[in-house]
This record gives sequence, structure tokens and C-alpha cells, in this order.
Amino acid sequence: MNFVAQVYNKILFGMAALSGVVIFAAFLMIVTEVLSRFTPMDPLIWVLTSVEYILLWYTMLAAPYLVRIKGHVFVDAVTQFLPAHVKYVTAKIVYILCIICCVIYFTQCWSLFSEAFVTGELDTRSFEAPVWILLLPMPLCFGMCAIEFLRYLIGVDDMYSQDLLERENV
Amino acid sequence: MEWYWALATLIGMVVFFMAMGIPVAFTFILTNIIGVLIFYGDPSGWIQIADNSTQLITRFTLGPVPMFIMMGALFFHTGLAIRVFDGLDVIFGRLPGRLCFLTVAGGSVFSTLTGSSMANTAMLGALMVPEMQKRGYNRQMSMGPILGTGGLAMIIPPSALGVLLASVANIDVGKLLIAGFIPGFVLAGLYCVMIFIQLRMYPGSAPAYDVEMPGWAERVKIVFVNIFPMGIIVFMVIGFIIFGWATPTEAAAFGVFGVVIVAALFRVLTFTAVKTAVEATVKVGAMVFFIIMSSTVFSQLLAFSGASAGLLKWAVSFDVSKYWFLLMMFFILIALGMFMDATSMMLITVPIFFPLAQQLGFDLIWFGLFVLMTFEMAGTTPPFGLLLYVMLGVAPKGTTLFQVAKAAFPFLVCDAILILLMVAFPAIALWLPSHM
Repeated sequence: MNFVAQVYNKILFGMAALSGVVIFAAFLMIVTEVLSRFTPMDPLIWVLTSVEYILLWYTMLAAPYLVRIKGHVFVDAVTQFLPAHVKYVTAKIVYILCIICCVIYFTQCWSLFSEAFVTGELDTRSFEAPVWILLLPMPLCFGMCAIEFLRYLIGVDDMYSQDLLERENV
Repeated sequence: MEWYWALATLIGMVVFFMAMGIPVAFTFILTNIIGVLIFYGDPSGWIQIADNSTQLITRFTLGPVPMFIMMGALFFHTGLAIRVFDGLDVIFGRLPGRLCFLTVAGGSVFSTLTGSSMANTAMLGALMVPEMQKRGYNRQMSMGPILGTGGLAMIIPPSALGVLLASVANIDVGKLLIAGFIPGFVLAGLYCVMIFIQLRMYPGSAPAYDVEMPGWAERVKIVFVNIFPMGIIVFMVIGFIIFGWATPTEAAAFGVFGVVIVAALFRVLTFTAVKTAVEATVKVGAMVFFIIMSSTVFSQLLAFSGASAGLLKWAVSFDVSKYWFLLMMFFILIALGMFMDATSMMLITVPIFFPLAQQLGFDLIWFGLFVLMTFEMAGTTPPFGLLLYVMLGVAPKGTTLFQVAKAAFPFLVCDAILILLMVAFPAIALWLPSHM
């Protein structure tokens, strides 16, 4: 069990690191593309579409990690005034609702991904790419988000225990 | 279902789920899932909402958001921000209330380079409040200018929130960013006037003190070395957009590139600084993108249920001035801002307010800036304005929320004056974009 948890954590943090790598790569690609206009090189037309794909990958790869580090913003204007036991129960309901959302999205994204994979559907932008590449991180993201909310539901950690400045990454 | 019930159902669900403490991104996902069940009648539409989720966040126009966050984070973590402050510090000499003016000047530059209100307020608060307290400034004078200036980041380009707003509202990103330039600096000027008035009314609130000033040659050198390179970065971002040399995404990437080069020249570019900046980009940018992922579907639900069209038809049926509607939208945003963050407000209000504003004949770039200004005010409005809490977090022990809110009030008045100026003279916002 410990081994499974360790592997899972490595995947979770690895995905977040990959999210950082791809967004930094997007920065480098855009700068290279602009600079290449002033050289005799052929225009790098693939950059635009690649950056568009990266934006989705960047978001999806980081989402489960953000659940883990309590990085998704929420409103505590009402819940902060609730008595401790009501707050506890509300938090558990919140986790259950989030799990339901994630499972529904996971199933829908999985069916979109598997259909695109089987049919080999192409996305035509500045170059043609298989749609499944675009959709690949989505089921992964929602599946892992569901697991993260399950951790909160059955574990002792609380998603709401974080200071405002830390939560806003300041 | 009548349009008003549809509207109440969708908005009511968002507000209820948010009040429960469901993370904002998941609030919209849940609302969309239930909304499809209610308005489409069966769960087969769920696959469509999953498919449509990719539409907005795979747009190249959203590229400036992570780039601006990375640029701001690099600016902070390499220590370049402090150098700018040191450069500005020698300009002000022995001026009474110099630290307040320094805050406004430094904050305006930070806003231009970072685009983050939270980071601005936190950094200015941590840097300036202890110094101001040491120099005998009262709480009002030490916190007010910081709260006012912190919010400038929302309108002075580059503003990450501006890019998000333009993308969600489907208006020109570059034009909205540039539209904030003049109003942003007019607002900084209004803040200086407000500080001057406060100093005249309460001279003891920010006592003058002796400062050891370097000679003129040394001052020019410090300003040239510490501020001039940042000016080039600002030009790379704003100038490239204005002159049409690059798209906002490209200009933003060049802003990052500029900070990297300047940091390298100052020998402060470290692996740790880059890693921390990328980490901040992942934490903040991906979180915001995950929220707005649901915005397309939420807008489609509002349209499909008839809520948007019904509301528009109802609103324009009144024979009243369009400015009454503007006032109403202003108060709705301020009220929402008391409880939620700007991105959430944006998702709820943009699909309703922007078509209404267009129908009423407002220029959408102007209206976008008006919305950003209102977001800025909402961030410093008690009881839950986020900037108030950021300030409270870095203020000296024993400071109360009331004291923070009281210090922010005169600067909220300045914001309101700027909005009135924009209503009276729309060219303040529209002149610069009209030349693009």
C-alpha cells in the first residue's frame, strides 16, 4: 500500500513539474518564433498550435497537485462563521460533491479520449494533430482530482486549513 | 421555465455552492453538470460540457496570463523589485510623507511589471509598513496608499486579470490592456493628490525626517541603473502591443525574456529564482485556467435556458438612462466582491453584463476597463475584500480589519472619481487603443 502511495505521489508531483516544464517551454517557443521572423529561417507556424495545446496540458497536469496543496481558491465568507461540527460535516459534503463532479467529468473525458483515439480524428489548426493528444490529460486530471478529494474525505487532512497569503501564493 | 427562474437557478446554484466552500472551479463544474440535467433534460449533454471545456483555454490569446505571472514572479524572486524601489527612493529626497509617495510610485512600477494585486499589496505591505511605523507614520497613512496602489495592478498593463476578462468577454485583449494605461497613471496621480490632502489636514500623520541623500551624479547613476532597464521591459510589453509589433502573448513572452536578461546582467538570475517563478506560474495560472475552463459552458447554459436573452429584453424595456444600468452593475459587482474573488465574479457577471452593455451602446473596451476598476474597488471593500486581508496579514500586530478598511477608504474615493472621469471623458480609456 505504501509503495502504491509513493508511486502515486511521484506521478502527482511529476505531473505538476511537467506542467511547469511545458509552460516554460511555451515561453521559449514564443520567443524563438518571434526572433525567427528576423532571420532567414522558415516561419515556425507550429508554435501557435503547440502553445494552445500546452495551455490545456499545463492546466490539467497541475489541477490534482493544486487539490493536494489546497491551491484551488474557495470562498470562506460563510463557512468561517459555522460551528466546528457543522463546518466539519459541510466540508465532508463538499468533498463528496467534488468527487461526484470529478467522476462524471472523468467518464465523459475518457469516452471523448477513447473515441478520438479509436477513430484517429484530427484537429486541424496550424498543423494537423490527433485530437486524443489534446484530450489525453483530461481523464488523468479528473481521475486524480477525484482521488485527491477522496483523501480529504476519508483522511484527517482538511482542505480549508491554509493561511490566506499561502493560499493566494503570495 | 421563465427566464428569471432560469437565471435565479443558475446564479443561485453558483452562490450556494460557493457559500458551502466548494472550490470555485468545482462550483462551476457542478453547476454546469446540474444545469445540463435541468435545461437539457438528460445527462447525454454532459459529454458536450466536457468537450466544450477545452475551447476557451486552448486559445492563444490566453497566453499572456501565465507569461505575466512568470514575469512578475521572476521580478520579485530575483530581487529586481527591490532595486527599483532603491532607485525611486533617491528621487524623493526630504519630501514630507515621502514614504507614501514612494509607495505610490513604486507600486505603480510594480503594477506595470507584475500585474498581480495580491503580490503587490503583500510586497508593499511587508516592505513599507514597518519602515513607515518606524518613522512615526500613523496606521492610516502607512496602510492606505499601499491598499490603493496594490489594486492598480488590475488596470495598469500588463494585467493578467485584464487578459482573462478580455478572453472570457471575447473582446480584443491588446486593446483592453492598453486602455488601462492612461487611467492607471491618472489614478496613481489621484492617489498622490489624496496623500497631499491628507498630509495638509493631518501634518503629524506622516512626519518629515532627515534622509542622507547621495550627490546628484550618484542619484542619476542609481536611477539609470535601477530603473532604466525596467523601462525597457515595460516598453517590450506595452510598446510592442501598441505599435502592433507583437500580439499580447508574444509581448508577454518578451516581457519574461526581458526580465531574464536584466536579471542575468545584474547577476541575480539563479536556478532557484527561475524554479520559484515557474512554480508560482503553475500554482496561480493553472488554478485560474481551471476556473475559467467552465465559463464557456456556463455562458452557453445561460443562453440556452433563455436567461441571457430574457434579461436583456427585460432590461432594455425600461425607458431610463443607460447610466442607471451602469450604476446598478457597479453596485452588483461591489456587492459580489465583498464575498468572492475577481475571477469568480467575472464568470458570473460577464455573460450577462457584456451583452447588456453592448445593447445599451457602451464601448466594450471602455466597459471592460470599468469592470476592472470595479473589481479593484471590490478587492478593498469590507467585510471580505481580499486585499484588506492581505494587508492585515502583513500589518503590525494589533491592527484591526476596521483600521485597514478605514485607511483604504480615501483611496476608494479616488477610484470612484476615476470612474466618474471615465464616464465624463471616455477618451481617457479609449484614446490609446484607438491608435492601435
